[in-house]
Amino acid sequence: MDLEALWLTLRLAGSTTAILLVIAVPLAWWITSGRGPGRALVQAVVALPLVLPPTVLGFYLLVAMGPLTAPGRLLMRTFGHPLAFSFSGLLIGSVIYSLPFAVQPLVAGFGAVDRAYVEAAEGLGASPWKVFGTVVLPMARASLLTSAVLAFTHTVGEFGVVLMLGGNIPGVTRTLSISLYDLVQDGNYAAANRTALVLLAISLTALLAIYLLPTLRKTDGRQADIVQ
Amino acid sequence: MFNSLLTLDIRHHVGAISLDVAFSLTQPWTVLFGPSGSGKTTVLRTIAGFVRPDAGYVIYGSIEQVLVSTDERIFLPPYLRPVRSAAQTSKLFLHQTVRQNVAYGMAWQSHPDDEREVLDEVLGLMRLTTLADRDTRQLSGGERQRVSVARAVAAAVTYDGIDKALLLLDEPFGGLDGVLRDELAIVLRDWLTRWKIPVLSVSHDIGECYLLGAEVVRMAEGQVMEQGPVEVVLDEERRRLMKQLRTV
Repeated sequence: MDLEALWLTLRLAGSTTAILLVIAVPLAWWITSGRGPGRALVQAVVALPLVLPPTVLGFYLLVAMGPLTAPGRLLMRTFGHPLAFSFSGLLIGSVIYSLPFAVQPLVAGFGAVDRAYVEAAEGLGASPWKVFGTVVLPMARASLLTSAVLAFTHTVGEFGVVLMLGGNIPGVTRTLSISLYDLVQDGNYAAANRTALVLLAISLTALLAIYLLPTLRKTDGRQADIVQ
Repeated sequence: MFNSLLTLDIRHHVGAISLDVAFSLTQPWTVLFGPSGSGKTTVLRTIAGFVRPDAGYVIYGSIEQVLVSTDERIFLPPYLRPVRSAAQTSKLFLHQTVRQNVAYGMAWQSHPDDEREVLDEVLGLMRLTTLADRDTRQLSGGERQRVSVARAVAAAVTYDGIDKALLLLDEPFGGLDGVLRDELAIVLRDWLTRWKIPVLSVSHDIGECYLLGAEVVRMAEGQVMEQGPVEVVLDEERRRLMKQLRTV
């Protein structure tokens, strides 16, 4: 198995998740509490990668990052090299591609917080940011985990965007799923099998974390009942 | 004791209730009294900033701050209003202890010693001292309600503004048993009078109104029927109840 590809994949997924949480938390809060047509448009754009073929997204990003467009030239000047076929370019692509997977659990989580708790805090003089930080976020913390895990696993599994935008450069853009494709093309089924197993294990472990954690928390609840 | 502290004149339709209410607050403790469905809670929520009235205004304090005015297109969000409130359902912050809940809205962070002193006093006042470090999930209904009221009281007392904050309490003693209710009502009234915190509470309990010796605004079907001292406004209601008791 290609260990370099495994390390690259984990690095890409980790960085993507970290960046996505920073973007998705305020974005989801704005979608939850906002109104008007602007909100619908933002929601639609955020959800777009869910239905768009990854190759389409990859193609547009490739063009946008290349020297043919003004933003591409600006990016090239900022970074000193073309973003396409580089790790930074791949990172930008992954953030956009996994955005709905990070945002949507948060929107659902924030939206599920009982409005009466928000009013209780506002009635005590709490500003919208204080309400968000001290009431909404702690009450929706399970969705924060779901959001992070889905963003991570979705990035681990991306293929079309990576191939379009990053190509297949060992150590730079060759992720595990690309490496798997390569191995199958070469007829190396034994190595392909090992790679597939690692990808399967990552996904399963992540999902187990989502489903196990609420069970553990319920145990806390039972202890509280006993004290009562 | 106060000049006109709050002037309110609002019209609002929500569901089956059609609200047309106007009154002024002049006394330290005023009770909105009336049967359920008469619109008392909606009036409180309008003052707090959770309801946007269809028409009208609410003006508060010596500087006549406009909290809401549909004519002037002014609507202050709740957190910018000199108002602190406790709703009827006590929504305590579950991930915090009793003490953390009560301290939540306190605004004397620059004087931590004074803040702690007030916090301890409020906890004692509401008989919460022994429960202070409990998880709020372990509390009974009545205890929850006391925490909810204590939280609003602590926030109102430590409010830093030109005027004192108006304290809004929706059925603050509703879930408590008789003896404790009477005791708490009197202690709370005296303590808030000492701090000069004006209170507008909601009740449908005559005993509570007499106990507080409050000014009463009697509401029915979305309108103000009468306003004045409790002995005047609720005397007829009291006689009717007494007569009913005698017949029983």
